[in-house]
Order: sequence, then C-alpha cells, then structure tokens
Amino acid sequence: MKKLFSDSFSSIKRTIITFSRSQKFSFVIAAMAIAAIVPLLVNNYTVNEVLTPMLIFAIYASSWNLLASSGQGSLGHAAFLGIGGFVSALIAIKTGVPPIIGLFLGSLLSAAVGFLVGLTCVRLKAWFLAMVTFGFSVIVVTIFSELDDFTGAVLGFPTPLIVDRGLPFYYLTFAIAAVSILTMYLVMKSKIGLAFKAIHQNEFEAKMVGINTAKYRLIAFVISTFFAGLAGGLYAQSIQYIQVSVFGAEYSFLPLMMCVIGGLGTIEGPIVGSAIIVAIDSYLPRIDPFLNGLLGQDGLIPLFPAVSNVGSPLRFLGLGLFLLVIVIFAPKGLTPLMKKAYHNLRRSLKEEKN
Amino acid sequence: MITSGLIQALLWGVASGCIYILLATGLNIIFGVMKLVNFAHGQLLMIGAYIAFTVTTALGLNAYLAILVAMGAVALIGVGLERFTFRKVLGTDKLNEIFVSLGLIYVFENAAALLWGNTTRQISSPLQGLQLSIGQIAISYDRLSSILIVVVILVALFLLLKKTKIGLAMRATSQKISASMLMGVNTEKVYMYTFALGAALAGAAGALYGIIFNFNPTIGALPTIKAFAIIIIGGLGSIPGAVVGGLLYGIAENTAVYFLGGVWQDAIAFALLIIVLVIRPTGIFGEKGE
Repeated sequence: MKKLFSDSFSSIKRTIITFSRSQKFSFVIAAMAIAAIVPLLVNNYTVNEVLTPMLIFAIYASSWNLLASSGQGSLGHAAFLGIGGFVSALIAIKTGVPPIIGLFLGSLLSAAVGFLVGLTCVRLKAWFLAMVTFGFSVIVVTIFSELDDFTGAVLGFPTPLIVDRGLPFYYLTFAIAAVSILTMYLVMKSKIGLAFKAIHQNEFEAKMVGINTAKYRLIAFVISTFFAGLAGGLYAQSIQYIQVSVFGAEYSFLPLMMCVIGGLGTIEGPIVGSAIIVAIDSYLPRIDPFLNGLLGQDGLIPLFPAVSNVGSPLRFLGLGLFLLVIVIFAPKGLTPLMKKAYHNLRRSLKEEKN
Repeated sequence: MITSGLIQALLWGVASGCIYILLATGLNIIFGVMKLVNFAHGQLLMIGAYIAFTVTTALGLNAYLAILVAMGAVALIGVGLERFTFRKVLGTDKLNEIFVSLGLIYVFENAAALLWGNTTRQISSPLQGLQLSIGQIAISYDRLSSILIVVVILVALFLLLKKTKIGLAMRATSQKISASMLMGVNTEKVYMYTFALGAALAGAAGALYGIIFNFNPTIGALPTIKAFAIIIIGGLGSIPGAVVGGLLYGIAENTAVYFLGGVWQDAIAFALLIIVLVIRPTGIFGEKGE
C-alpha cells in the first residue's frame, strides 16, 4: 500500500509537470476563466437552475466515469447521490454541526457504503454488476422510506444551507468541482488509473501481468462513491430540499448518459456531457406548449391522441435515440468531434490569413 | 388458515413465475448464442402487452390468440433491434451493450407512452373473472391457462432447439462461433433468428402479463430485474436452470409477500440476489460461467 502511494505520488508529479507544459493547460485555464466570469453576466435564474447544476452533475458524472474507466458500469449510482444528500443534511440537522462538515461526512459515509457494495461487486461480470448496483439502489430507497420517522424521506425536508443561493453557492460549487475533478484526473492519470484501464480492457490479462484486480476495482468504487456522495450533498443544497425521489432510476441513468454523450473514459467528457444534458433539461421544456399545439390532443396534427402532454415523452424519446446514435456512430462521444471541428476551424482560419 | 394461504401463494407463485420463466429463457437464449445481455428485455414484454391489448380491443381478437400476434410482432421488432443496434456494438466494449439497452429503454417506454398513453390497461380475456375454488384456495382460470401456455411454449422451444436445423445451428454457435462458421453456419443469420426468438418469448410473456396484471408503459423494468434474479439462480445461459429458477423465484416472491407484506417485495428480491452473487458469483446452478 505504501509503495502504491509513493508510486502514485511520483506519477502525479510527473503528470502535473507534463500537463503544465502542454497546450491543454491553457485550454483548461481558459475554460475555468469562462466558468468564473459567465455567472456574473447572466441572471440569477440561470445561475441557480442551469450553471450550478451543470457543475454538480459534472462532479457526479465524473465520479461515474472514474468507476466506468475500471470497466464497472454502475446502474445504481443514485443510491450514493441520495446517501450523500440525505446524510449530509441529516447530520447537520440532528447534530448541529456546520453544513459544510455535514457535506464531507455525508460523502465519507457514501464512500464507506461504496466500499461495502464494492466488496460484493469486485468479482462480478459487467452485467451482474449492473444488476447488483441497480438492485442496491432499490434496497436503499426501501430502507430510507421505511425508516421515515428518522429520515423524513417520503415527504422530504428543507436542507440547511452552507451559503446563500445564487453567486455564493455557485462559487463554492465551482471550487469543490474544480478540486474534485482535478483529484479524479490525477487518479486516472496515475498508476492506479493505468490499472483501471488494464482491467477495463481485459480483466483476465490484467490479472496475468500481476495487477490485483479486486483491489483496484475496490479503489475505483470507493473514490467514485465518495464524489457521488459529495455531488449528492451539493445537489441537496442547490435545490434546498431533499426527498426520496433522488434515488430514482433516472438519477442513476443520468451520469451514464452524460459520460457516453461527452466521451467515456476522458476527463472532459463528463463535463461536456453534463453541460449538454443539463442545458437540454432546462431549456427544451420551453418548446412543450408548441409541441402540444402541433401534435397534442387538440393540436394541428393530432398524431398522438392518447396523450395530454406530448412534450416530455417526445423529449425522452429523442434523448434515447440520441444516446443510441452516439453509442453506435460516435462511441467516443462528442468531445473528439468537437476537438476535430475546432482544429479544422483553426486550420481554415490560418489558411485564410496566408 | 396458514396452510391454505401458503398453498394459494404457491399456486400464484407458479403462475407469475411462468411469465418470468419466458422472459428469463429469452434472455438466456440470446446470451447463450450471442454473449449479449439485453437490459431492455422487459420493455419488449411491455410492448408485447400493448400489441396484444391493441389487437384485442381494435380487432376484437380472442386474448389467447393475441399472444401469437404479440409474439410475431415483437419478434419483428427484435430483428430490427439486432440488425440496427446490437449488431453494431457486438464485440466492442461490454459497457456499450448496457448503453444501447438504456437507450432502447428510453425509446420504448416513451414511444409506448406516446402511442398508448400513460393510463393503466388490462387485456380482457374470455376467462376474465372466473376462478377455480377448492376449499379456501382460489386461482383464476387466466392464471391456470397461462401456466399451460408457458408449458406449451417451452416444449415447442425445446423441440425447435433439439430437432430443427436452425436449432442445431444455434446450439453450435453457442458452443464455438468460429468452429460453426467453418462448418458453414451463417452466424449472422443465426444471430438474427436467436434475437427474434428471444424477443418472441418476451412478447408472449407480455401478452400473458397483460391478461393477468395491469400494465402501463413503465412496467418493463421490474420484470427485467426479476428475470435477472432467475438467471442468477439458474445460471447464465442455462434453459433448464431458468425453468427451475423461475418457479423458485415466483414461489419465493409470493410467499414473501404473504408473510412480510408487499412493501419489502422488491428489496427482498434484490437482497437475495446480492447474497447469492456474493456467495457464488456465477449463480447457484451456474457453471464456471463466461
């Protein structure tokens, strides 16, 4: 274990040195500068409902991405999002500690539960693991609902806030997201991350070259569930209210979609994916009245007479098709395409100059 | 009376277990031949239920004949799925299959919600409301006939796999794909037939489900999970295992509901599933596994 840490430490140092010299570095600085300035230019609603969720889901999706980079696709990550959210709020309410400490205690407990779930999962194949994690989220939701006297999960309750909503909370989330994603980046670039990759590609061969696959898969689980819990705590803060619906399957599927759409296994993929999905989620419902007027029951072309509101199913249908198209035609996600477009643009601009 | 209640739970368990057997067998056949797990299998069941519902209400077809229609239609959907989605990701990263399944879940559930609405439906069968009562034990004729139909389907499936040429090709492909290719088996065609067969079983399960239970566009997820639990009990890829597992699971579920109440039903199913997997990662009757 000691060797593992000293190895990872030196590789982290190496990563930082090479990274600071690369072209990516300026790109990251630019992106962070944009993320820091944009909220000052837009209205309060956009900060609260769009930009802050983007950051929170970027942490959440990155945590899923880290787990998937070791070949383990969880279908029940909402369990950890919910544990993080509920425990951080409950600790702050019941013991009176400052909410920020509750936030980290919640993530730690989420990681501890993740350790236990990971123990059962490390020997399983991809499909059984998907099923077990999904099943775990159903068990957790039942437990939280049954212990309603203590958790207050069914009706929900307002969460104690760390800082005010709006810009203060945005910058707090921004700082936490930056540190979390940097940490996950360093893990994925270190020797541990290399082991994850080897296990993902071929677990049997990874074992043959002497990688303790169970240990590394467990490490992936613990790190991933810690950050999922952190994202859950922040999410509870951002909507100021926590309820049992946070354990729902849609919250388990969201990070998966974000990673696939952005680009699985890369560090920028989940961030891009979360920006896209959150933007779709917050802006696309605005065309619902138009869709209802066009296709709905009393619409111009009543294509779907059985439904009163065609907007939401149509949107999710589109999302499903989008996911299929991405997986089949662009399995590396949208970021490589965006990079390509960027380089083409630069090249054509240069040519024009010449 | 505890005993009569228990017998009742047993009978009901066998009946609902039968539906899950069909689903699990379909998953197992597809896995055995293609080494592919379709997490959207329960959504095929849901589509099957809606197709049977539509032909019974719109065309006035007998509900039990509608099972055949549902099988055929869902088999066609299965052919399309295999051709346009799963074939593209077969042999790449295992996670891609999960992603494709998830996309399909979204597509099916929302397409069904658009076409048929979110209201809860049930297929009206000619035997509706009739039940056989012996003493305190009562079971509806619909449940009894569904047990019979599942037995017929399973026998037909057994004959198809053991006696026909395409069955032989499927079994050969499931054993070793490269060798069966060398023996002149058109494996792409085998894949197509396999997926269609698995989907048809899901369609039949859907029609039976619709006759016995209420359904809506989102019912697909739980049957998938139950089919998985059965597969985990019976071993991945084993059809006799699925039959034994399905009966065991149906009985266990219904007795658990009888003694503990319905709230814990799903959580207990999962807890059992996880415990089994912790002790034996390949399932109770599973071989070394893949």
